[in-house]
Amino acid sequence: MEQAVSPTPVTRTPNRTDAKDKPRRFDAPSRLEIITGIIVALFLLGFPSLNPGYRILSLSITTAFTAVALYGLALQFGQAGIMSVGHAAVMGIGAYTAAILATKLGVGFWLALPLSAIMSALVAGLIGLPSLRVSGQHYIIITFCFCALLVIALTNGGSFTGAATGLDVGSIDPVFGLSFDRLKNAYYLVIVALLLCILAYYLITNSSYGRTLRAIRENEPLARAVGIKTGFHKIGVLMVSGAFAGVAGILQAYYLHHIAPNLYGAFPSLYLALMVMLGGARLLYGPLIGAVIVTFLPEIMHLDPIDSRIAYGVGLLVVILLLPGGVSAGLLSMCRWLGRLNHKRDPNGRA
Amino acid sequence: MEIFIQQLINSLSVASVTILIGIGITLIFGLAGIVNFAHGEFLMVGGMVTWFLVNAGLNFFVALFGAMILVGALGFAAERGLFRFTLDRPMNGFIMSIGLSVILQHVVIRIFNEVQKTIPDPVGQVWVVGGVNIIAMRAIVVAITAIVVALTYFGISRSRYGVALRASIADQDTAALMGIPVRKYVTGVFIYGSVLAGLGGALMIALFPITPFTGSVVIIRGFAVSLIGGLGNVGGAVVGGLLLGLVDGLSAGYGSPEWTDAYSLVLMIAVLIIRPQGLLGWNTGTARQLKNSQ
Amino acid sequence: MAALEITGLQKRFGGVVALNGIDLSVDPTRITGIIGPNGSGKTTLFNVIVGAHKPSAGRISWRETDITGKSPATIASQGLVRTFQQAMSFSTLSVRENVTIACEHGRPHGGAGLRWSSPEEILDFVGLSGLGDQTAGSMPFGNLRRLGIAIALGTNPLLLLLDEPAAGLNQTEVAQLMELILQLPKVGIGVCLIDHDMFLMSGLCERLTVLNFGTKIAEGPPAVVLNDPKVKEVYLGNEL
Repeated sequence: MEQAVSPTPVTRTPNRTDAKDKPRRFDAPSRLEIITGIIVALFLLGFPSLNPGYRILSLSITTAFTAVALYGLALQFGQAGIMSVGHAAVMGIGAYTAAILATKLGVGFWLALPLSAIMSALVAGLIGLPSLRVSGQHYIIITFCFCALLVIALTNGGSFTGAATGLDVGSIDPVFGLSFDRLKNAYYLVIVALLLCILAYYLITNSSYGRTLRAIRENEPLARAVGIKTGFHKIGVLMVSGAFAGVAGILQAYYLHHIAPNLYGAFPSLYLALMVMLGGARLLYGPLIGAVIVTFLPEIMHLDPIDSRIAYGVGLLVVILLLPGGVSAGLLSMCRWLGRLNHKRDPNGRA
Repeated sequence: MEIFIQQLINSLSVASVTILIGIGITLIFGLAGIVNFAHGEFLMVGGMVTWFLVNAGLNFFVALFGAMILVGALGFAAERGLFRFTLDRPMNGFIMSIGLSVILQHVVIRIFNEVQKTIPDPVGQVWVVGGVNIIAMRAIVVAITAIVVALTYFGISRSRYGVALRASIADQDTAALMGIPVRKYVTGVFIYGSVLAGLGGALMIALFPITPFTGSVVIIRGFAVSLIGGLGNVGGAVVGGLLLGLVDGLSAGYGSPEWTDAYSLVLMIAVLIIRPQGLLGWNTGTARQLKNSQ
Repeated sequence: MAALEITGLQKRFGGVVALNGIDLSVDPTRITGIIGPNGSGKTTLFNVIVGAHKPSAGRISWRETDITGKSPATIASQGLVRTFQQAMSFSTLSVRENVTIACEHGRPHGGAGLRWSSPEEILDFVGLSGLGDQTAGSMPFGNLRRLGIAIALGTNPLLLLLDEPAAGLNQTEVAQLMELILQLPKVGIGVCLIDHDMFLMSGLCERLTVLNFGTKIAEGPPAVVLNDPKVKEVYLGNEL
C-alpha cells in the first residue's frame, strides 16, 4: 500500500544533481521510438517500389497530406485539449492562399508554401481568440460556424476566389529536373512533408512545451497557478496547428490542380475530427493511422462511399465508447499485453 | 401591406422550425451539457418519415404524429445507448454525436435516396384574413409552434417537473442532493427535444423540400438560436428564433440573399464572444463550468 | 519587512461583499495564518491576491511591486504561489510529470538560484519518494495533498499561500503536514495558510489574522487571538 513517508528533514545537503532527473528541454527518444521511426520512414519511402499501382498511389498521396492536417489537429486537441470542427477551413485558407498567389501574382509552389503556412497560422490564431473566453463546447460551435462562413465568403468572392466553381492550380515547379507531375515524385514530396511534420510533432510533444500544453489540457487553473501563460500558449498551439493545416492545404491544391469552396466546409472538417479521434489524438502515429483507415478501409473492404461513411460513423462510436484513445491506443495496449504474455512464458523468468 | 404580412408569415414559419429544434438543443445542452450534433438529423428523419407515411397514403397529421413518436424513440435510444455514457465527459458525447449524424445521414440515403423529397401542401387552402391572402399551411405551422412553445414554457415555469428541471439546469449537483433524479430528467429532456425535432421535420416538409443533408443546414441555426438566447432558456430560444427570422427577412428583402446565412452566423459568434451566456442566459450549469475554468 | 502588503482590499460579487476593506502584511520569512468562519472571505482573499479575481478596490504589493490585478501566471512567476482547496493535479499525467511541469516554469529569485535541482528532490521533501511513476489522479487523497504542495514547490516560490491544506486529512496526516510545513521557512519559503483546524493553526502559525464577513476582526499571536472575546463570539459553538 502506498503509505506516504514522513518528509525528509532538510539538514542533508540537497546537491545530488542526478542528471537523469533534471527537467530537460527535449526528451531523448527511446530506442524503441527510434527503431519504429526508422521502420515507418523506410516503409513510407519505399512504398512506390512495391508497385502499388496508380490508384493506390493516388490514395496514398491523399492520405499523406490529410495526415499532415491531422497532426495539427492532434496537437491542438490531443495535447492542449482544444477541439475544432473547422480545421478544413484552415486548410482552405492555405489552399486558397496558394491558388490566389498563383493565379493573380504568378507565385509558384515553393514560395507559396511558407506563405500558405503563415496565412493559415494567422487565421487560426485569430479564430482561436474566442476560445479564451468561452468553454470548449461553445468554441467547437464557433469553429463550425467559421467553416460555414468561410464557404459563404469563398462562394461569393467573385473572380477573386473563383466563386462556386473555384480556382485552377498549375503544377509545382520542377526541382533539379524532377517533375512533380509524375505521380511517384508527387508521392515522395508529400511523404517527405509528412515525415518532417511527424518529426516536428514528436519534438513538440516530447519537450517542455508539450508538457506545458498537456498541463493546460489537464487543469487550466492549476497551470496558471504554476506560472503558465495559458492564453498565450493556447493561441500559440492553434497557430502551429494552423500552419500544419496550411501546408496540407497547399499540398492538396497542387495535387488536385483545382480547388473549390465545398472542399473546406463543414463536412470535411467533421471528417478530419472523426479521423483524428478514430486514429487516436495523443499517440505519435495516431493521426497517420486515422487517415489510413478512413482512406483505405473502403478500398480493402470494397465498400461504396455511402456504406463506408456509415462504417466511419459506427467506428467512431465504437472508439469513443470502448477505445477512447483511438485505434492507436488500442494497438499499443495489445502490443503491451502481448509483450507481457511473452515475458510470462519466458523460462528464464525475465521480469 | 399584403406582401408584408405574407412575408411575415413566411419568416415566422421558417423561424418556427428553427425554434422547435432550438428548444430541444437548449434544454439538452443546458441540462446535460450535451451538444448533440445529430439533432438536425433527428429533424431530417422526422421529415423523411412524414414523407414516407404520406406517400403510403396516411393523412398528413397522422404521419406527423408518427414522425414525432419515431424520432422520440430514436432520441431515447441515442440517450440510453450512447450519450448516457459520456455525461461526465461531454466532449466525448459531442464527438459521438458527430458519428451519429454521419450514420443517420447515410442510412437515410441508403434507405431512400439522395434526391430531395417533398409532399404536396397538406391543407392546400388559401385563407383570406382581413383582405390578405395567406397560405393556410404556413399559418398552421406558426400556430402549432406557438402552442408547443406555450405548453413548454408554462410546463417549465409552473409545473413541479419544470421547477425541478430548472433547478437541475442551474446546479446539477445540488439538485441531485435534493433528491431530484437528474439522470431521469436528462433522458426525459432528450426524448422531449427529439419529439420536437420530429415535429419540426414534419412541419418543415409540409413547406419545403428536404434532403438527407437538410439536418446539417438546420443544426447551425438551431445552435445559433439556443446560444443567442441562452442555454437552458426556452424563452431565449424563442427570442433567438424570432431574431434570426427577422435577420433573414431583412436580408432577403434588402440585403444580398447569398449572405443571409452569414448574418446569422456572425450574429451568433458576436453574442458568444460578448455575452457567452446568451442574451437571456441564466447561470446554467455550463455557465458555471465556464466560470470555474477562468 | 513584509513582502506582501495588502491595503484596503475590497471584492464584490454582484451584491455580495466578500472582502470589505482588508489591510494585511505578510512576512515571507514566517508562517502566518488566516482563520474565520465559513463565508468570511478567506479563499476569496487568496483568489484576489494571486490574481484569479480582480479586486473591486484596494492595492496589493509584493516585494515592493504593485501586483494588483495582474494575472495568476505573472504573479506565480514572481514567487507568490498558492495551492487549492480542492486537491488539484494534472490528473492523467504521472506524479513526476506534474512536478516537472512546475519546475519548468519556476524562476530563480534574488540571485539564490533554484532551490531544488530535480523533481525527485521535491518528491523526497514532501514525502512522495518513489511514487514518481504513479498516475496523479489515482493517488489517495493524502498523497494528492502532498502532490499539490510539491507542485507549488516546483515553481521555486518565495511565499506559499496554502488554502485549507488539512481539509480531509486524518489526525496522523495533519501531524505529518505540520512537520512538512515547518520545514518550509528553513529552506527560505514563507507560508501563509488558511484552515479550520485550530490545533494545526495554533501549532504552526506565529501570527493569526481573523476574518469575519470580509473584515479583519483580530490579529496577533495565536494565544492572544484565540482568547479574544470577539473571536470566540464569532466561533460560538466551536471548540477552540
